[in-house]
Amino acid sequence: MGTEVMVLFFGKAEVAAGSKEELFTAEDTAELRRMLLRKYPALAGIPFRMALNKTLLKEESALKKNDIIAILPPFQGG
Amino acid sequence: MSHTRLTMKNRYLVGGPITPLLISELMTLGNDDSGSGAVSIFIGKVRADEIEGKRVTAIEYSAYEEMAGKEADEIVKTVRNAYSDVRSVLIVHSMGVVRAGEASLFIMVTSGRRDQATRACRHTLEMVKEKMPVWKKELF
Repeated sequence: MGTEVMVLFFGKAEVAAGSKEELFTAEDTAELRRMLLRKYPALAGIPFRMALNKTLLKEESALKKNDIIAILPPFQGG
Repeated sequence: MSHTRLTMKNRYLVGGPITPLLISELMTLGNDDSGSGAVSIFIGKVRADEIEGKRVTAIEYSAYEEMAGKEADEIVKTVRNAYSDVRSVLIVHSMGVVRAGEASLFIMVTSGRRDQATRACRHTLEMVKEKMPVWKKELF
């Protein structure tokens, strides 16, 4: 089973995934993280963090319908 | 303020460089606040760094815009709570291409007196760098 969630890729993560967004089906963020690294090995070279519905994840979390996960490389504003 | 309204993507992000015209318009915000006696401004610019033997001519900025807006809201709230004399906090970051020498970040803090304006401006800057989901791509 699992829940379908939208994953958004930013910065170098967008380059690694080759797209800005993609649907994934996973139970939780830990499973999603494993799926992402398996599908896009180049992500392993980016110390990315994840945001769940626009809030940075501090620990792994269950996923529910319509959640939006963002893959965030280190911020570079300024 | 017509120029400012036209170019702002949302209240924190603007397409392209932060031009002198935009800066002058942003600086008039708060002119009607008669209790404000100090304005501290930080302007970040694009450096023409040399990377692996190539000179940077511009930076292309991108952001998770919805989250950037939420984080900037939080930064403004945090600064206003931390400095009792601060009367306004403004953050504007460029999106898209900004050429070397042009401005890509504008922060303005007003307060009753000078001390908190300068300290809160620096604090705002550090939080923008730490918390706003913005990325850059060097162009050569």
